Amino acid sequence: MFEFSLNLSQEIDKNQIFDLIIVGGGPAGLTAGLYAARYKLNVLMIEKSFISGGQLTGIDTIENYPGFAEPVLGSKLAQNMAEQAKSFGLKSINAFVDSLDLQKDIKEVKVGNDIYKAKTILITTGTSSGKLGIKHEDEYVGKGISYCATCDGPMFPDKKVLVIGGGNNAVKEALFIAKYAKEVIIIHSGEKLNAAVSNIDKLKDEQKIKVLLNSSVKAIDFSDLKNKTFEIENSSNNKVETITADGMFIFVGTTPNTSLVEGQLELEKGYIKTDCSLQTNISGVFAAGDVIVKELRQVATAVGDGALVAYKINKYLSNL
Amino acid sequence: MAMLDEKIVSQLKELFKGLDKEVNLKFFTQELECAFCKDTHNLLQEVAASSDKIKLEVFDFQKDKEVAEQYKIDKIPALVVMDEKDRGIRFFGIPSGYEFTSLIESIKLVSTGKLQLKESTKDFLNTVKKPVHLQVFVTPTCPYCPPAVVLAHQMAYYSEYIRADMVEASEFNTLSIKYNVQGVPRTVVNETEFLEGAAPEEYLIEKIKAFL
Repeated sequence: MFEFSLNLSQEIDKNQIFDLIIVGGGPAGLTAGLYAARYKLNVLMIEKSFISGGQLTGIDTIENYPGFAEPVLGSKLAQNMAEQAKSFGLKSINAFVDSLDLQKDIKEVKVGNDIYKAKTILITTGTSSGKLGIKHEDEYVGKGISYCATCDGPMFPDKKVLVIGGGNNAVKEALFIAKYAKEVIIIHSGEKLNAAVSNIDKLKDEQKIKVLLNSSVKAIDFSDLKNKTFEIENSSNNKVETITADGMFIFVGTTPNTSLVEGQLELEKGYIKTDCSLQTNISGVFAAGDVIVKELRQVATAVGDGALVAYKINKYLSNL
Repeated sequence: MAMLDEKIVSQLKELFKGLDKEVNLKFFTQELECAFCKDTHNLLQEVAASSDKIKLEVFDFQKDKEVAEQYKIDKIPALVVMDEKDRGIRFFGIPSGYEFTSLIESIKLVSTGKLQLKESTKDFLNTVKKPVHLQVFVTPTCPYCPPAVVLAHQMAYYSEYIRADMVEASEFNTLSIKYNVQGVPRTVVNETEFLEGAAPEEYLIEKIKAFL
């Protein structure tokens, strides 16, 4: 009935110079950590959350990651990846990175009162949920607006909830929220859902979920928290309907987590530009996973990036 | 059946070798009308069995009313993590899922006294001379919650004026409704100020400043 997850920071000697510091502990960072540790590099991973796994930790189940015939819990896959990497010697701490100094030969990572140093840096900070960009959105996060179904879904028992988006995340998270809520309405701006057919098929068996297509949320009014209203515009007939619901979960696109490297690394539409070795415009600074310019952002592609970048970093270090 | 699997128990035993001072777990429970008391009790027994430096004391919420009042325990299951001194660290509800990490972090903190707080945060906490009550609402499936709980507990450990509770939101639904918790983590500061998400130390400091 109960799961218990344990992931603690390790004691780290701050005076050493690491071969590699990985900033961000999602699938790309953990895979790079696993490979780098197996290359016997002295590697430290810094993860802002207390739980490694990045966005995996906030996902109910994964069905398209090879090796699992049955859907695997995101939290379980994350935990397995972290344990595997640590078993080969990956060191990790759980802390917010305050700033990065990437310009010198020895790179510096400032964490609270401490500075960690390394010959190379790998940025695997991933992405965060995209926002709708409507008025009052930020104001009501945690008061009815959420971007994490596994976190906040249980807060809506027998409630009516809107899920915004039409991709795999939106559909899968709507199915998760329906375990708790009495009614879930998926609101998607397109003519049809973009999710995988296998996910869309599951909606047919879930009576609690309705889908509104060609629709988008134009405005919200949460001034009365017991009677939250949402203005929904239908683009096919331009009609605006006001509906009431208890909460809204948003799964529309992603925003790269690049605030730490802005002004230092070359970006394209906010994502980090890399060459075919996954090296950035600064020598010795690499990036991988969802945070880089790429076409497909999946756990499988992040893992592939992680393996490749560790190989390239190992080569880079051997040429120093 | 054991609550913790063998892998976690062996991790705990290894980790607890690094404990320094003895840690006192004061657990408040009752036999009836408490959905998660028995499971929490079992969990704490298994944690305490992993190190001879961890002592578990069990109190009945009704019969040991005076002790409950002394530690400001107003709901159960409740846990105080302390050494010879009450450090203001509380857990209300079962620390399962990702919150198990918060529990183990609090044991490490109390035993070793090792804080991760920034120097600027300690400077600020030195100026706090009025009681501050932090209630961090969480769910066990929220990966962003443990940093918020651990930060609050570290502040409580450092400042004798601060008391910090982890509150499992779905177990204490009435309280969640009272504080309008619809997303976690949500930190309630002295009943009237609120902080959403696992925010850096400076954000929580700003909220506490409202009461100084």
